Amino acid sequence: MLGYVCKYTPIELLESMGVEMKRLEPSVTDFTQADTLMHANICSYTKAVLEDVMEHDYEGVILTTCCDSIRRLYDTLKNEFPDKFFFLIDIPRKVNDFAVTLYERQMKDLLHAYNEFSGRTFDEKKFLAMMQGKHALVQKENHSHVPNAAQSGSASLNLGIMGARCNHEIRNLLEEHGVNLLFDLTCTGISRDFALNEDFVLSSYAQSLLNQIPCLRMLKATDRTTLLDGFSDRLDGIIYHTVKFCDSYSYEYADLKKYQDLPVLLVETDSTRQCVGQIRTRVEAFLEERKATKGLTSKEIIDIKRKGQPMYTLGIDSGSTSTNAVILDENRTIKAFSVLRTGAKSSQSANAVLEDVLKKANLKKDDITRIVSTGYGRVSIPFADTTVTEISCHGKGAHFLFPTVHTILDIGGQDSKGIRLNDNGEVVDFVMNDKCAAGTGRFLEMMARTLEISIDELGPISLKSTENIEISSMCSVFAESEVISLIAQNKEIADIAHGIHTAIAKKAISLLKRVGLTGDFMMTGGVAKNPGVVAILEKELNSKLFIYEEPEIVGALGAALYGLEELEEAVK
Amino acid sequence: MNLVKTYGTIIKKYADTNPKTARKLIQTGLHLELFRTRHLATKGMPAAYQKLNTLAVKSTLFALEHPEQTAWTNIFTPVEILQCFGLNSLSIECLSSFMSGFTCEDYFIDHAEQEGIAPTLCSYHKDFIGAADSGVIPKPVFSTTTSMICDGNINTFRHLEKQHGIDTFYLDIPNEYSKDAVNYVTAQLKEMISTLEHITGKVFDMDELSLVLQRENESKQYYKKFLEEKKKRYYPTTLTLQLYMLFATHLQIGSKETLDFFRSLYEDILTYPEFQGKRIVWVHLLPFYQETLKHYFNLSDHYQIQACDLNLDYMEELDVTHPLEALATKMLCNLYNGPYAKKADFVASLAKDMNADGVIHFCHWGCKQSSGGIFQLKQAMKTENIPLLILDGDGMDRRNSHDGQIKTRLEAFLELLNNLDSTI
Repeated sequence: MLGYVCKYTPIELLESMGVEMKRLEPSVTDFTQADTLMHANICSYTKAVLEDVMEHDYEGVILTTCCDSIRRLYDTLKNEFPDKFFFLIDIPRKVNDFAVTLYERQMKDLLHAYNEFSGRTFDEKKFLAMMQGKHALVQKENHSHVPNAAQSGSASLNLGIMGARCNHEIRNLLEEHGVNLLFDLTCTGISRDFALNEDFVLSSYAQSLLNQIPCLRMLKATDRTTLLDGFSDRLDGIIYHTVKFCDSYSYEYADLKKYQDLPVLLVETDSTRQCVGQIRTRVEAFLEERKATKGLTSKEIIDIKRKGQPMYTLGIDSGSTSTNAVILDENRTIKAFSVLRTGAKSSQSANAVLEDVLKKANLKKDDITRIVSTGYGRVSIPFADTTVTEISCHGKGAHFLFPTVHTILDIGGQDSKGIRLNDNGEVVDFVMNDKCAAGTGRFLEMMARTLEISIDELGPISLKSTENIEISSMCSVFAESEVISLIAQNKEIADIAHGIHTAIAKKAISLLKRVGLTGDFMMTGGVAKNPGVVAILEKELNSKLFIYEEPEIVGALGAALYGLEELEEAVK
Repeated sequence: MNLVKTYGTIIKKYADTNPKTARKLIQTGLHLELFRTRHLATKGMPAAYQKLNTLAVKSTLFALEHPEQTAWTNIFTPVEILQCFGLNSLSIECLSSFMSGFTCEDYFIDHAEQEGIAPTLCSYHKDFIGAADSGVIPKPVFSTTTSMICDGNINTFRHLEKQHGIDTFYLDIPNEYSKDAVNYVTAQLKEMISTLEHITGKVFDMDELSLVLQRENESKQYYKKFLEEKKKRYYPTTLTLQLYMLFATHLQIGSKETLDFFRSLYEDILTYPEFQGKRIVWVHLLPFYQETLKHYFNLSDHYQIQACDLNLDYMEELDVTHPLEALATKMLCNLYNGPYAKKADFVASLAKDMNADGVIHFCHWGCKQSSGGIFQLKQAMKTENIPLLILDGDGMDRRNSHDGQIKTRLEAFLELLNNLDSTI
């Protein structure tokens, strides 16, 4: 079996020689082996392929000169596994007669090299017959294809996927939510149907391959956005997928954001198994947001437990640092709330916070009509009736508390988010930080520990600062060393703390700029309790930040409000 | 307070509200620097390098003041053709380095990232995009790039073309040399020439291009003779000068002024004594702002940078009777085009040739083509028994380099080189 990575690979040539071709879509646990052979900052897909090749017994891999990382992967594989078959096809970026000649030459070189390696020979007639057979089959299928009524109905969301290679997990996630996928313009989303010219078999094959919908490395890639116009009457949004350390597609994303009046969700993965859970929140929030705009709020029948009793809903927000709960009565009054530190198991913390909030509200679990969970650990809460992402919940909670707020900055322990609301309090856009601690509560915790003070002291101390110190490193690990050097230079703790807060505020403003700076502003999450960060943010934004007295419960409050709205809808 | 940093803060402040004022401030800064390089010699800096300083600053300033005679390029673009149309080349790499020189790189990089450009992209590209999109750099008359070596080029130039409506020509360079590849590239060069004739209204003169290539050949001859002398002589240099060499070896190659510089470089080194310290061959970019590296290498008589591979990516003689084919061959046979093994072998032979005691490879943030091969470079150096130090950081974004880490690694490496010497 030979692996391949790119849609421009002439896989049918090898298939006609009886070779099984496998598109490599590895999902690995980590890059332990790959990191010993390639630099850590190489595209994660590339490293995942390297891991995959090291773990499996492929006969070899066919690569293309699609990007610098893959070129270096070829060099590395060839160097490390001299007994296997690796071939790098140089795909021209322009499409003209010269380019077709060059590509045809590459195909012949490939066939020659594989013949030398395996002894198998290529038969052009056999190849042509195979291609004609395939083409006839596709034509027949297209002819008899009746669109699935359930899928093409107006009730489901119509989305497209664009960007860099996207493995089946994202597609499965969309399928799970009943999304109707209109197109897949990622690296590997291609229907391999080519009608060849019998007189110029190889050159017409080369030409067909080069004339596919271009990927971003091709020079005619600008045609891609015009393709979207054809879907403008149906398209509800785009999932834009990028791979960590693959930069090519961010340009198109920037372009889409600027020129197209289309909701776009950017998700980044790194070919590890863990990332699926991490992107779930983003994708689900996007679907909730799109459904809300389309007027498709969930109409599921709710099992109403109350019979003439007062109605209470409970929202529970399971975050990485704290687990928070809010109980609302039917008049939207907060009966009680609770904030507890999250332990090692989110379900245990959820049970503890449930017990605590019920005690404070003087209620029993049976008195609660509906429980909605949110937050990073929302799916691990066994007693929740339903789940809603923390992005929608923060939007809901914020609008309830301060109806004039249009932009929310939420800095929690593990991530930070910028959320933009419309006048009705509906989420219209959001961004989240990358998978690192920079700009999160964890960053502040690390820094407080380095300064040997408690996290609660950090904010007040920084307000006494008299000297501006710049912490230039964005990376938490580098920043920690910088802080250590500052301590060694005998700098005042107040000034260092102020520098740390300025660094985190800068990162936050940059995040907010990506959703747009529309007032009023609200801040939620644990870091909103830090007066040092708040003061710098207010100065930079030149605007007051609305902060609720318990900034950590806004998500849970939103979840409780969602529960109440569902009940109201159901009893109508 | 650092003067440059204060000046940089003011530039950044204006970039936000009034980009034209920010541009004026940058131009004023460059005028001052030009005056300094022309009239106030840096103590210990060789005379020829003073000329190089002037050449680099003058060329960048010209691009900002005369956008109508400027083309945006990358360092591998065939600038020889642009010269025939009277166009000055402003490469994204060099302009970005100047922005970093003004300590403004963070503002422009953040600007690009806020547009949605990947944070993991090469900082030179992000900086240039930010500087252009914020309106600080004026729109040029033309832009052109090659697809070779760096996969960011096509996308960055396409982004700029779309944002600013610039006439842009793309050269697709195959990964390896072949006759078909030469034809493919030559045809593109012809197309580029007719595009330029249309834009500038000038008629292209092939004989003039031959003359440019002739000067380029002569320049490279002087450079080779200079390097021959440098094997043994002390010729003080700095990290910045090694980068400025890119103006001479790439952006301005073929011009009369550049030929004059290379001639002076060769004549000047003959007046210098023998070098007694440790010799280093530098691979890839140089973080010219980095305190520890500056301390150890700038005008040092202990540690001398013998050469940087970036300035030696094509040293063959160009066939002046077939100038377009010669330029196509130059790009196809560039040291970095094709497999990494070619570069690894070259670095090994360069190190031996230049009597280097060790090699330093700098992995610049976002550059996959160079950092992607370091394990092969390690192997090649090990085979040849040449000590190699790999440093991670950023060629121009101060936030991505950490002095503590670089200092420990560099000092340990230099200790190793000195110890090796005492055990022989």
